[in-house]
Amino acid sequence: MKLKFDYLTKCLLLLLMAMGMSSLVIAQRTIKGTVTDAQSGESLIGANVLVIGTSAGTITDIDGTYELRVPEGATQIEFTYTGYSAKRVPLTASNVYDVSMDAGTVLDEVVVIGYGSVKKSDATGAMTSVTEKNFNKGAVVNPEQLIQGRAAGVQITQASGEPGSGVNIRIRGTSSARNGNGPLFVVDGVPLSGDETTGGAGDGGLGRSGSRNPLNFLNPSDIASIDILKDASATAIYGSRGANGVVLITTKSGASNSGGLNYGYSIGFSNITKKLDVLSADEFLSEYEKLNGADAAKLIDGGGDTDWQDEILQTGITHNHNVSFGSSSKDGDFRFSMGYLDQEGIVKESGFNRLTGRFNGSKKFIDDRLKIGTQFTISNSRDQAAPITENSGFVGDLWSNALKGNPTAVVDSAGVLQQDNRNEPNPVAMIEYTKDFTNTLRTLGNINAELKIVEHLSFKTVAGFDRSFSSRKSAWSSDLNVGGIGDRGGRLFLNDIETNDNLWENYFTYDNDFGNVSFTGLLGYSYQSFEFASKRAEFSNFRTADLDVMINNYASANQGAKGVVGSNSSRTKDELQSYFGRVNFGISQKYLFTATLRADGSTRFGSGNQYGYFPSAAFKWRLISEEFVPDFFDDLGLRLGYGVTGNQSIPHNVYQPRERFNDWDINNDGNIEGGGFSFVSSANPDLKWETTKQTNIGLDFGFMNNRISGSIDFYKKNTADLLFLVRAAQPSDQPFEWRNLDTDVENKGVELALNIVAVDNSKFGWNISTNVSYNKNEVKNYNSFINTGEINGQGLSGAFAQRIAEGQPLFAFFLRDFVGFSPDGAQQLYKDGLDKQVFVGKSPLPKYNLGITNSFNFGDLDFSFFFTGQFGHYIYNNTANALFTAGALASGRNVTKDVIGNGESRLNSPDVSTRFLEKGDFLRLQDLTLGYNVQTGNKTIKGLRFYVNAQNLLTFTNYSGQDPEVNTNKALDGVPSAGIDYTAYPRARTVTLGANISF
Amino acid sequence: MKNKLILFLLLSLGMFAIPACTDLEVNELDSVPSTSETGGSSDPTALLASSYEDLGAFNDQANIYSLTEHVSDEMIPPTRGVDWGDNGVWRTLHAHTWDASHAYVLNSWNQLNERAFKCTRILASNPTAEQAAEAKFLRAFYMYHVMDLWGQVPFKEANQVGVIPEVKSRMVAFDFIVKDLNEALPLLPDLGPVVEGNGKASKSAANALLARMYLNKAVYSTASGEGPYTFDGADMDKVIAAADAIAAAGYDLDDNYFNNFSSQATNELIFRSTTGSSQNRTRMTLHYDHNPDGWNGFATLADFYNKFEANDTRIGNYPTPDGTEFSGIARGFLVGQQLKDDGTPVIEKRSGTPLIFKPECPLSGATTQQGIRVVKYHPSDQAKLIFFRYADVLLMKAEALMRKNDDAAALALVNTLRAKRGASTLTSLDATKMLDERGFELYWEGIRRIDQIRFETFNKPWSEKIVTESFRVLFPIPQQALDSNPNLQQNKGY
Repeated sequence: MKLKFDYLTKCLLLLLMAMGMSSLVIAQRTIKGTVTDAQSGESLIGANVLVIGTSAGTITDIDGTYELRVPEGATQIEFTYTGYSAKRVPLTASNVYDVSMDAGTVLDEVVVIGYGSVKKSDATGAMTSVTEKNFNKGAVVNPEQLIQGRAAGVQITQASGEPGSGVNIRIRGTSSARNGNGPLFVVDGVPLSGDETTGGAGDGGLGRSGSRNPLNFLNPSDIASIDILKDASATAIYGSRGANGVVLITTKSGASNSGGLNYGYSIGFSNITKKLDVLSADEFLSEYEKLNGADAAKLIDGGGDTDWQDEILQTGITHNHNVSFGSSSKDGDFRFSMGYLDQEGIVKESGFNRLTGRFNGSKKFIDDRLKIGTQFTISNSRDQAAPITENSGFVGDLWSNALKGNPTAVVDSAGVLQQDNRNEPNPVAMIEYTKDFTNTLRTLGNINAELKIVEHLSFKTVAGFDRSFSSRKSAWSSDLNVGGIGDRGGRLFLNDIETNDNLWENYFTYDNDFGNVSFTGLLGYSYQSFEFASKRAEFSNFRTADLDVMINNYASANQGAKGVVGSNSSRTKDELQSYFGRVNFGISQKYLFTATLRADGSTRFGSGNQYGYFPSAAFKWRLISEEFVPDFFDDLGLRLGYGVTGNQSIPHNVYQPRERFNDWDINNDGNIEGGGFSFVSSANPDLKWETTKQTNIGLDFGFMNNRISGSIDFYKKNTADLLFLVRAAQPSDQPFEWRNLDTDVENKGVELALNIVAVDNSKFGWNISTNVSYNKNEVKNYNSFINTGEINGQGLSGAFAQRIAEGQPLFAFFLRDFVGFSPDGAQQLYKDGLDKQVFVGKSPLPKYNLGITNSFNFGDLDFSFFFTGQFGHYIYNNTANALFTAGALASGRNVTKDVIGNGESRLNSPDVSTRFLEKGDFLRLQDLTLGYNVQTGNKTIKGLRFYVNAQNLLTFTNYSGQDPEVNTNKALDGVPSAGIDYTAYPRARTVTLGANISF
Repeated sequence: MKNKLILFLLLSLGMFAIPACTDLEVNELDSVPSTSETGGSSDPTALLASSYEDLGAFNDQANIYSLTEHVSDEMIPPTRGVDWGDNGVWRTLHAHTWDASHAYVLNSWNQLNERAFKCTRILASNPTAEQAAEAKFLRAFYMYHVMDLWGQVPFKEANQVGVIPEVKSRMVAFDFIVKDLNEALPLLPDLGPVVEGNGKASKSAANALLARMYLNKAVYSTASGEGPYTFDGADMDKVIAAADAIAAAGYDLDDNYFNNFSSQATNELIFRSTTGSSQNRTRMTLHYDHNPDGWNGFATLADFYNKFEANDTRIGNYPTPDGTEFSGIARGFLVGQQLKDDGTPVIEKRSGTPLIFKPECPLSGATTQQGIRVVKYHPSDQAKLIFFRYADVLLMKAEALMRKNDDAAALALVNTLRAKRGASTLTSLDATKMLDERGFELYWEGIRRIDQIRFETFNKPWSEKIVTESFRVLFPIPQQALDSNPNLQQNKGY
């Protein structure tokens, strides 16, 4: 192996010599040396070594060594390496130059932008780059969790504590009043469609359960960096999909591998952070007796003392294995990795496991003029869900039954689960007698070729694909005594989703310097197709109660009027065709200009409006290069940017009248309903792109040798021609239709990112990194309103808590303004006696987001802790509204202790009101890591690291619910909601122990 | 260097010259794009079947049904602890304090207008003559409800794209509906009574709707819908003619009142739903501890119940529990101690006390035992929902005669009905007695609102309702409908 590399090195040198022959002078000498990481002492492979003023150069080999012939007269050599500060070394008489390189400061980072990369100091747009060393650690399932709290202006909320649950990510606020507010994810150059890749479960009468995060298929430990493009000047190159920001995920290449084998293992232990404080059996009985009398209390007393939360919770154990190896040489590199994650949820029988494989590789041919590369991943995951849903009604889901369950009831008697009330199911039975899992196989990959046509001009073509198959099976046995399930012979729902996206992109890049003007031009064409297919079936009236037989031998369901129904199937294909271009000018390294234009054509819009044009321009003035800037600055740059981006995230073909047979389903009485025939969309020829205009002003700065560095950005984002699902003017085919409204959604904000190197010496280092952002959201020019934020529970049918209207933030709370109870406690009293919902001046959207990381090095020990928080918003506690009231206790349901003595009578009807609205502010110690790098001094074991990590260790909040980071999907009529908590899967605290070893 | 820049530009231009990969034409795989000039469907048969299915919207205890019943003096939707608050939708209906943002007002508006539009699509789909007649009847049925509830009817043809729908005033809509019905009548089948009840449009169904419209024309033809109303003899004649045509088709009163709501044979059923089940009608009222268990909701008002004569069979019967499923449930009014299927008393689980229904029922904070419950569609032999039955037609004819001052003929018809139902013979008739009789016969069948309006008692006080504004004879146009169509004008008072 070693020989081969030497041979390759020589070949490369020969090539370099041949190419550089004309400029080479006669007298030459050969220098050599080793390039290492200053901190770890590890050799750096693939570092560039260049003789200044010539084209002579090489890269380091697998041992970090290089050999280079330098022409006479050369005075300096430069060492560069991604993520490290460049280093120039003057040439002396010596022929050996060993260099140790320091991890780069912000200035020298290379950041990935669309269709290319730039030095951070040359970037004109607002962006944040998070690299591996700053990722969140511990039990991390998906890429969003890696960067939660780490980037200014990026708000990431996991919907619940469930492993693999959906993640809400908002870059610079929420700009659309519909689904599709998430950013565009681009993985190694392949933009992902925002479609769900897994199905929701059929509800079996206990509510709908959400789809999983579509990015669960990526193994976080394969990710090298995540670059977030925030302002329009940066995202406009992605045109119609750039309005909500762009997240560029770059996976690890062989270049970062030391050529050996790496193995990492961790084990994590998760427990609930906070159980809700419900009444004990004795308290429950005595309070129930006060409300309903002694006879009733006798009837309800099951004689037990059960903590139902404990009955369904467990310590979830997470195992995570990662193996990777790779290598790089002068003409190529590769990396192969496999990962296996097995995460148990803290609710019994829930969890997520995933096996991933990845191959990234590239190789150069024809005198390095052609580079062929690939990034390819395959992921097989199994997601096992507990019956916790988003909108359960009167009966409730698993979590609500664990909270409201009668504490005097017993779990079982003589091994038989006690289920004597079909409206108050035994939570343990809900776990035992249901099974809900989703298997997903997804592959994402691309093959790309980059050809240097002539000096300075190259062409790249990328063929990418993203294919996913997922199958959800959700079975409810007839052994479960719940109305609509036990009395209907059980239920089974099958839900399969298939996606097939293909990409073909071609672009030219021209890169040259003309005197003191540097120029980069990009011009390209892109085609992407998105195919989505689903099929669903429902079964009931089973001849078996065995869950496996129900799923795997579904002929056990009787056919006929009350047995089996093929609910429906669908298949749609959309296409996006784009032309894009970008020019970057730099004058004297002082004035940098960027202009981009993308034209996107989409089948989501009818003829005439298919194409949208999305321009942007940005300017950066590197003030640091100006004489007048005082010396104490080490960096100072002013950025201005403006751009127009779009949004096309509306359903397939809503502009043409189309007819379709409607879904069938089996209702709670076991009867088959539906199957009608109707127009699913109407003629809507005027439908067009939603556009977002964004202005950004930013300042990058650095003082004290860049020990204090950072940036501050101000932005204003206006979304116009808002694509809105509005009430159709009747008569019409459907109650709603898609329209472009003359309405604006405005987001204004400030972001501050600050990095402080507090102590930096060889024995001890202390680094502080913080980000703070403020965002204000407002709906303007809207002359109607839309209600959303569905509230569920007993006596809460038709209730909602939010309204989108003029002058309010999106999803503003719209509630009765509760002031107290009537003297007899039987009525809720409202401000000004108004038994009506009003705007109460409270928003569910956080005003401030905060992240603070402190990291320390003490020799081989490292320690870091990371706080994150969200402030200035409110949460509607639907869980308390539905469950924790005097009336609920009077109905024999357990409640939290604060219900006792709250002045409410059993006869009160707890209408939706500010009574259940709470401040959502929280500060969380999200991540704490202590690591130790063992100096092995061993040739076989080159690196060894042990670490312990605690995730979600402490949360400071006044919110009374289980956890303030919550966002249950409470969409109403397809309009999404925000900041509502309804029986969300509880959040865990996880302690992880791990080791990484490299050979 | 310049050459290279030129090369770059040339290549770039070349790229745009490359024919695009796609013309962005969509190829639909799971739905059929409509290319019809008329805005019609490729399959009028499937669309018509779907339109009949749409009648299932009336099965719901909420929305359309709630607007016709909870606003009246025969139903009360009390909150019972945590139950039935439901954001105030029920109590505002009973107290006549609803506004333009009421959820059921909006949903009903959408449901009815969408359903009417589907019929317009069928008519544009080159249907057969009989299909066209059925579609016209169904459109008339849906549009009638819009006209009745809101007094304005938005309308557009199937091929009108991107236009703001015109709005027909109440009488323009009235004439439009009558025209549809008259055009449909000759082509509709002449169906007599069948055991299951007719779920298909027929001459008699069209006549029943015509009778209802002409009987109420006095209401519909006033400017604001508010009384007093003047009834035109010619309209009454049309009611009588329609009723006579229905009788001629073979419809008649059944000897057993509750047969009508069961799967037993009866000659009364003119038009009924074919879809879904009427079980919401029982579950919305039954107690949790009944079998079948209900949602412990709606009750009738004590004053309404107290008007019944003891011998009137329509008041219902005590159950005869014999151990068979649901035999513990009475038909008609459920008063007093409730029984299990085996005849033993139901004990309320929550209170540990016997389940005894008491007549008095407050609107908010009722206990679980307050209020008399009502079961017409008995769970043991539950039938599909009825839209028109002959007893209603007979009473409409009697009322028409009374309004023509032919009291004797009217009295005779009313007494015919009363005799069948075991009630005493009346010696005289007046408006109050006529309205009461309609209540005795048709309680909880979704007709009480317009009856009370026509008899001008709608704004009067009753239990848990004060004297309310006269403009409430019409519902407000939902705010979101106003926002979507500037041709709509908000109704007076809202």
